[in-house]
This record gives sequence, structure tokens and C-alpha cells, in this order.
Amino acid sequence: MPIISADLTHAGGRPTAAELAAKLLAGQTLLAETANHVMQVVDVLESYGEVLDAYSTNLIYQAEHQFLNPVPAFRYLDGDLSPGKIWRHLIHDRLNFEYAEYCQKSMFWHGTGGLDAYLDSEAFRAGCSAIIRRKTGRDPLLALLNPLFPDFLSELIRSAATTHALGQFWRVMSDLFLDLARAEKDGQISTVAAVVEFLRQGLVAAAANPITYAVEVAGERCWVLPPEAGLTFLADVAVPYVEAVFLRGMPFLGTVSFNAQAQQVSPDQSTFAYGALFADPLPTMGSGIPPSLLMQDMYRHLPQRLHQWYRQTSRGEGDVRVKICLSFQKSMFCVTNAAIAGTFPQPLDHPDPAAQAANRAYAASWAARLCQSRTDCLDACDL
Amino acid sequence: MLSTLLLIPFLGAFLLLFWPGQPVPGRMRVVTIVVLALQLAWSLRVLLAFDPDDGGMQMQESFTWVSSIGLDYRLGIDGLSLPLVLINAALTLVSAVCTRDISQRPRIYFALLLLISGAVNGAFLAENLLLFFLFYELELVPLWLLISIWGGKERAYAATKFLIFTAVSGVLILGAFLGLALLTGTVDFSLTPVLSERLSMGSQLLLLGALLIGFGIKIPLVPFHTWLPDAHTQASTPVSVLLAGVLLKLGTYGLLRFCLGLFPEAWALLAPWLAGWAAVSVLYGSLAAIAQRDMKRMVAYSSVGHMGYILLAAAAATPVSLLGAVFQMVSHGLISALLFLLVGIVYRKTGTRDLEVLRGLLNPERGLPFTGTLMILGVMASAGLPGMAGFISEFLVFRGSLEAFPLATLLCMVGSGLTAVYFLLLVNRAFFGRMAITPPSDNPVADARLDIRLAAVAPRETIPAMALAVGVMAIGLIPSWLGRISEAASTTMARLPGLLANLQSGGLG
Repeated sequence: MPIISADLTHAGGRPTAAELAAKLLAGQTLLAETANHVMQVVDVLESYGEVLDAYSTNLIYQAEHQFLNPVPAFRYLDGDLSPGKIWRHLIHDRLNFEYAEYCQKSMFWHGTGGLDAYLDSEAFRAGCSAIIRRKTGRDPLLALLNPLFPDFLSELIRSAATTHALGQFWRVMSDLFLDLARAEKDGQISTVAAVVEFLRQGLVAAAANPITYAVEVAGERCWVLPPEAGLTFLADVAVPYVEAVFLRGMPFLGTVSFNAQAQQVSPDQSTFAYGALFADPLPTMGSGIPPSLLMQDMYRHLPQRLHQWYRQTSRGEGDVRVKICLSFQKSMFCVTNAAIAGTFPQPLDHPDPAAQAANRAYAASWAARLCQSRTDCLDACDL
Repeated sequence: MLSTLLLIPFLGAFLLLFWPGQPVPGRMRVVTIVVLALQLAWSLRVLLAFDPDDGGMQMQESFTWVSSIGLDYRLGIDGLSLPLVLINAALTLVSAVCTRDISQRPRIYFALLLLISGAVNGAFLAENLLLFFLFYELELVPLWLLISIWGGKERAYAATKFLIFTAVSGVLILGAFLGLALLTGTVDFSLTPVLSERLSMGSQLLLLGALLIGFGIKIPLVPFHTWLPDAHTQASTPVSVLLAGVLLKLGTYGLLRFCLGLFPEAWALLAPWLAGWAAVSVLYGSLAAIAQRDMKRMVAYSSVGHMGYILLAAAAATPVSLLGAVFQMVSHGLISALLFLLVGIVYRKTGTRDLEVLRGLLNPERGLPFTGTLMILGVMASAGLPGMAGFISEFLVFRGSLEAFPLATLLCMVGSGLTAVYFLLLVNRAFFGRMAITPPSDNPVADARLDIRLAAVAPRETIPAMALAVGVMAIGLIPSWLGRISEAASTTMARLPGLLANLQSGGLG
């Protein structure tokens, strides 16, 4: 029987770890340098920025106003309980805030960096106890739950802290992506390298921003993540976010089916590779597939230029979410590229051999992980 | 009125053959569709004029043709042939509509389609044995040409095999008809069971045996089935639709009309063996279908299995089982045509029908989601799920046959369960999971890297399949429409052995 799949399938290039490391060390972009890539990346990041703006607002609202609410039924409404908003929520004329929660849970589960360390610290435990004491004094349901499940409320507070931190992280990223779109429209950006550099500068500029979180309990302001904890944007939230959402992700919520019994799922969480950079853009529409939710949200905010181009490629509107996901992965490789460029231990042009060796080791460790990801999207190709 | 059902397609075929100017495929197709729509409309007119309470032949037309050899032009229609005439009109129209990529000799292609449709109508309406044989043979050559010219790579082999098998079938049937005349000493080839009553049981069994093998090849029943999977695999989609939906029904129609109708006594004697044959055919067809990796061959083997139900129903020959046989002919016609259409769409888009290769075609964004949905509906109907045509026909067949042949019926029920097995295998392999059209490896990450670019299925491409799916659902939900047409005829047919016995004992005198 004739199999003409070669005409119908595209496997994409698979650069080796050495090739990827060489590109990182040479300061080259991972994504192929084409005008079409610039358009895709800038426009898809613009729509992502719009979506992140709403996600960020909602996550911060949830952390501050749905704090220790065991049944947060209206948490996606941002406090607006007007009939119109509830109706739009019920008919699903809204963003999929569930995706933001998936990312929050992913960060919570794959906790790394300073935030995770602080959530397990004595100082945090003491703060939690004080908050729970104040809260249970006025809330009979929590007063009943707390002695029954002593760790439940402190775990909820940990979760809320991650939620707020992610909200703060996305606030910065949303502004950065929308600024990028403006800069491209102003003609300041016309290459993939310029996009990566713009993102790197944005990340570096925000690197030392403090991450703090306080809630109001019974009229008193209580710190959950106090300034004294010394948590900062890049090291304690951005890097753990990339680790959790871009690289590790959550098992079994992607679109590829893995068989744990056949040893296809690593028992070591740190080697998980189910994140956004590994996600299959082809959804099977099974239940609980975060990439599809995000693509649907970005579809609502797609810039005209990119939307027009999608209409002209492959199935037009028919497979637009797959194309958004492909463009999104290209853009996420740019963000990862910028994050790596911004976190090299030493400047790339440092003359000291020891510094160069440290950079090489750093690049090699990233390349080893990235070469397993969907690097097939890095080539210039039609969607 | 009935002659018009022959005139429309035959005149249409001549119209195409003598159409002035260059044969543009699009224009030839439109003319064919118009002619076939006219044929369908006329068939519906016959349906409106049909009296469902009359179990005998209606709207009879006759004139003497070559009476010296007993060949008279006699047409008639009853509750057995009317549904088949309707399904012939509908499925030939579907075949013409789904013929889109004929660039080679369109004039002949469409003329042959019309010729087949006319010949099949003639065979279903003929009240004279020789006239039936004439139309039965007339359908053979166009189909052979359709496979051997517009077929796949191995078309020559498949077409020749089809020709040899069906020619043998024709020879046996003609031999039986001539034998009947020879042994009764008449040249009366009219359709009457009284003829055979003059024969000894041995002669009856001999003639019935020839007819059984003749029609068994056409149906096809195991072990005469081997031509069918090859013919289907090599035939183009529209031809497969015709072959499965209409042409196989000539065999089952012949079984009921001529084997049971002409030799009711001998039939009753052979019935237990026939029921066993039916069970073997059903089980063999179903088990062979499970082993297939070509989607089309799987559907073809399912036909072998499902046609066995009709032999079981005919063997039992109760009013309920014969009604079930009519239902099964119609529902198998619709369901197998639907499945072949859908397999055709899959093949056109992916270039393969290999179940080891196709995966995840239900993908909503880049797969064939609507085709997959209709496929699931089709396989559910074929497996006999309630609410669809397959359930009604299988239920009636089993209900009508269970008391007469409990073991054979139970074995056939197992075959019905096996239908669910092989069609769920088909759906699970080809339509579920991560989309791919390459063999799977043991590395899901590598498999998931493949970007698949299938052309989308245009809505107009699925219109014929949708129409058939609606038909399958309609018969499943409102079976009384079809039941009312055929009930009187099947009851009359089931009474034949009793009537003959009465006649012999002078009871009717």
C-alpha cells in the first residue's frame, strides 16, 4: 500500500546539544533569523501579553481577596458580581483562568529557588500560625477545619503565596511583551536577535524587583512574603517559573501519552520534560490540556497582522490554535534564550579561561535539556 | 411505470455516449447526477403508488419478446424488490456525486455507472427467469470495466478474479434455470414455485444447489468470497459503494426470490445446513476482518460476515426473519456504502488505509474530525447499536431465526459481537490517539514531533456520507416505514412451503 506520508508530515530539524551550546555561547539566537519569525514572535507575544495582563490581575485578586476561602466559587470574576459578568462567565465568554492556575500549581509542585525555600522556612511557619490564629478566630468553618487537618490552612497559604508571586511575575512579563510590540511597531526591532536582546534587558532590569505579599486579616495587614525574606524577581520567581512551566510542566496534562509502567515517565521530578517547550502543539482534545486553553485565550487577542497570516496558511481558521501554539513555542524559545543570556555566570566576552569554562558548563547544561525539547520549531518553515 | 426505471438510466447512458463535443468530466458528472436524481424521483413515485398491503407482485408490465425460448419481458415489484430499487437509485446517485477525480474517460465511466444502475433495476424487477439472468449478466461487464480501468495498482488481477467468479456464478444460475425448464419440460420461465413442484426432490436439490453456489458467489458466502476483498481494495470509492451497497444485494435477492421462492420444499430440507453455512460465513468474515490492516479490506470482510445474516434469515424463513433479511439488505447497503465512502475520504487525504500507520485522525484541528465522527456512527450502526439501522435488522433476523436454529443464531450473534471488536480496533487505531500517518515508534517524544499537514475535508465532500448517515439513523429510529413496505411480501414468502404442501395434498383445490 502506498504511504505518501513524506509529503504530508514534517519532522523539523533536531539540533544536537553541542550545536545548541555553541549558539548560546556565540550569542546567536536559537530561533532562525527570519522576518516571518519576527512577525510571529512579536505578535504572538503581544497577544500573550494581553492574556497575561488578565491572568496577573486575577491571580493577584485571588491571592488577596479569596485568601483562605475553601470554596472560592467566584474567584475568576475579579470581585465583579454583576449579572452581565456572571452571564459571560457561564457561557464561557471569558479567558481560561484555569490555565493560570495550572501554571501556579506547576510552580507549586515543582518548587525551586528562593521562594520554595522560604515556604518551608521557620519564619514562614511562624507567619502562617499568626495568620491562621487571627483568621480562625473569626471564621467558624476554618476553625473547624484547622484542628481536623492541621496542615491544610498553611498549605493553602503556601499556594496563595505562589499565586501572588506568579501574578507579580506575569505583571512584569505582560508589560514587557506589550512594550516589545510597541517597540517593533516603532521600528526599533526588526530581527530575532533584537527581540531576544529586548527581552534580556527587560528581565535584567526587573531582576532585583522585590517579591512581597501581604494580606489583610481582620483589619490587620499580615505579611505572607515579607520584604525581609529578600525574595527577588529573577532568581526566586522567574527562574523557578521557567523550570516549572517551560521545562518540567505537569505529567499527563500534555498531549503526548506517556506510559509510566513502560518507564516513559522518570521517577525523578527534576528530569521531567513536559513543559511548554516540550508540549505537542497538536491537541487531541482530551480533558485537561493546558496548551489548548492558552491558545484559545491568545486567539481572542490575536493581532490583525498575525491573524491574517494564519488565515493564509494551511487550514486557515481551521487549525489556528495549532499555529498559535507553534508560534508561541518559537516565542518561548526566545524568552528562554533571553533568560539564559541574562543569567550566564560571566560575560560571554570575558577573557579569563576560568570564566569561559563556567559559561561553557552553563551553556552545556541548558543545551542538554533543550535538545530534547521541540527544537523542530526553531527552523524557518511554514506552519 | 416500472419500465421507466429501466429507461431513465439506459437512455442516460446513451445520452452520455453520444453527447456532442469533448467529454468534460464536470459536465458528464452533472448530467449523470441529473439522470440519477430523476431515477430516484421516479423510484419514489413507484413507492407512492405501491400498495403495502398487497404481498404479491404489483404494477406488472409484460409483453411477449422471444417467447419461443421463454424470454418474456415481464416486470413487477413487491415488498422485497421495492426497497432494493430505492437503495439502488440512492446509492448510484451517491456514487456519482462522490466521483470527483475522474479525469480519464469520463464519458464511459459515467455511462457505465448508469448502465449498472439500469441493469440492477432490471434484475430486481424481472419476473422472468431469463430476463433476470440477462440483467444479472448485463451488470457484470460494466463493473469489470470500472474496476479494471479506474482501479488501483493491482486492478487487473482483482478485475479478472471478479470476472471469473461472477461468470461462474452466472453459468450456474443459467444452468439451474435451463435445468428447471428441461426437467419440467416447459419453456415457461415465469416466476412460479409451482414449476418445481413437478420435480423430484433430487432434481430440486440439484437445481437449488447450483443456484445456491451461483448466488453464494455473488453475495459472497464463505468459501466463495475471495474475490470480494480484492475487488474492493482495487476498486475506486464510488465503485466500492455500488459493489457493497447494491451489487451484493443481487445475490441475496436471488437467494430469496429464486432459491427460496422457486424451491421452497427443497429449501426447507436444506435449511439446517444453510443455517450452519450462514454461521460459518458470519464467523469467518468477522474473524478475517479482525486480522486485516487495510481499512477497506476490513470493511469488505465485514460485508462477508454481515451477508451471512441474510442466509440465516432465509434459512429460517419465518415472516420475522424474512423481514429482517430485507432490513439487513437495506441497512447493510447504507452502512457499508457509508463506511466505504469514509474510508475513501481517509485514503484521499492521507494516501494510505493502513491501520498500522494511521492514528489520531479524529484530531479536531489538523485531522479529519467530521469524517471520524461519521465513521464512529457508521461502525456503531454496523455493530448493531440500538437507534440505528443495524440494530433493527440484526434483531429481526435473530428473533426470527432463534427458534428454528438456536445454535446457528447464537453463533451469528457472536459474529455480531465480533463486528464491534474489529470496528472498534479500526476506530481506535486510526482515529484515536496522537495524530500520525507514519508507523509508531517506542519513543512518544519523537512521535509527537511530527507535524501533519492533511488537506481539510470540504463540507461538500461529506454531503453523500451525511445523507447515508441520516438514512441509517432514520431506519433505526422509524423502522416502521420500511417494515410496512416489506411486511406483506415477507409474510407471503414465508407461507410458501405451507401453501405448496397444501397444494400437493389438494388442500387448496
